[in-house]
Amino acid sequence: MNRILIYLVLAGMAVVVQSALLSQLLPGGFKPDLLLILVIYFGLHERTWRGACLVYSLGWAFDVFAGSFPGLHGFVLLAIFLAVRAVVSRVNAESSLLLMGLVLLGSLLQGCLTIFALEFFVAEGNFWPMILGPLPFQVILNMLAAFLLLKLALWFQLTFLPRRYVPGLRKLDSHHES
Amino acid sequence: MWEWWRKNKAILLGLLLLLAALLWYSVSLRQQKETNLFEALVLRVTGPAQSVLTDAINGVAHIWGNYLYLVDTAVYNRQLLEQNSALKAELNQLKEISLENERLRLLLEFKESQPVQTLPARVIAEDASSWFRTVMIDKGSADGVLEGMPVVVAEGVVGRVIRNGPHESRVLLITDAASAVATLIQDSRARGICRGQGHSLNFDFVLRKEDLKVGEPIITSGMGGIFPKGLMIGHVKSIDRLEFGLFQAIEVTPSVDFPRLEEVLVLLRQVDQ
Repeated sequence: MNRILIYLVLAGMAVVVQSALLSQLLPGGFKPDLLLILVIYFGLHERTWRGACLVYSLGWAFDVFAGSFPGLHGFVLLAIFLAVRAVVSRVNAESSLLLMGLVLLGSLLQGCLTIFALEFFVAEGNFWPMILGPLPFQVILNMLAAFLLLKLALWFQLTFLPRRYVPGLRKLDSHHES
Repeated sequence: MWEWWRKNKAILLGLLLLLAALLWYSVSLRQQKETNLFEALVLRVTGPAQSVLTDAINGVAHIWGNYLYLVDTAVYNRQLLEQNSALKAELNQLKEISLENERLRLLLEFKESQPVQTLPARVIAEDASSWFRTVMIDKGSADGVLEGMPVVVAEGVVGRVIRNGPHESRVLLITDAASAVATLIQDSRARGICRGQGHSLNFDFVLRKEDLKVGEPIITSGMGGIFPKGLMIGHVKSIDRLEFGLFQAIEVTPSVDFPRLEEVLVLLRQVDQ
């Protein structure tokens, strides 16, 4: 229960930082998708059903702050979470490189699924150029944010919680293992 | 059969969950006209946090700019003294303009005779995603803001309210791909629909026979039922008379500087006469 609460606080912070802080710092309306990184992290370290419910709820909450289509991000983020769950048992999850790779693939999948959900279900509007055009830049931005977040999280754990087990962090970078 | 079910249970349930999410999304698309309880709750919880963060950022920027980052201050001071002399000369000219402004103010009183009330609001956050164009404002249903109300600035149309909490609302900008505004060219009166393209707009459904020029102003036609007639949308940026087809491809530069949007006006519902 505590972990879920922490996840919800982290997700809330991610959305607020994306909409209020990063939108002022970065030009051109670009901002890294911190919630996507969080969802991929859930995919690596949460149980399927609990994680799926959490991710779907977060997707719906994200729709309050992004776009004008309720349920869109719920569907997209849930699909990404399930995709990560499907591959996580087949790969070495103890690598930070894996997280970066998953962020790369997750960002591409997010773009494709968003285009699919908008073009097939929304009658009006020409959405794909707005998504496909900036997608490469968005992918790079997401990977950069994932890299910085990983470093920040590892520093935070080693500085403030050296003896606590934080899911994923000790595994994700063996360089810091004792 | 049971063995097959057990073996593929996870995949089947995953697909079922995904299908359910897609169906719910599809159903909710048809019921998205009003803010639901969940959305209102999330807006209420996070609105103050966004407002506080925006104020904190502005505060830090203010302290940094005014008290810490003072490199080249002496040079700026000399430049400012020179500018001061020039501005004194300009001030005399401005007195003349002020008299002209007084005359124009009388014309603006016409606006007050309109049966539309306006509500000033501050932009407190942008869209959380890079792919959509919405902003959050600090006025909501408690201030009389409802879904569908137009939002404008002096330069032209900003968008319309799509979601509202008690003290904050979300505005779909006209540059979002989901936005479509009934418009017309101010000079030739050619009608069409302006659709958002991220940073610019497309002016669709203008017949090829219409003779348009780059730079012509585009205003709302009042036909869509959302925006009153005559509000500025932007100017024609480029015209492509396609070899085939009924219509021209026209790109429009919005008159509003969306990246620098800070204060807006919400046009409240028309007051019954």
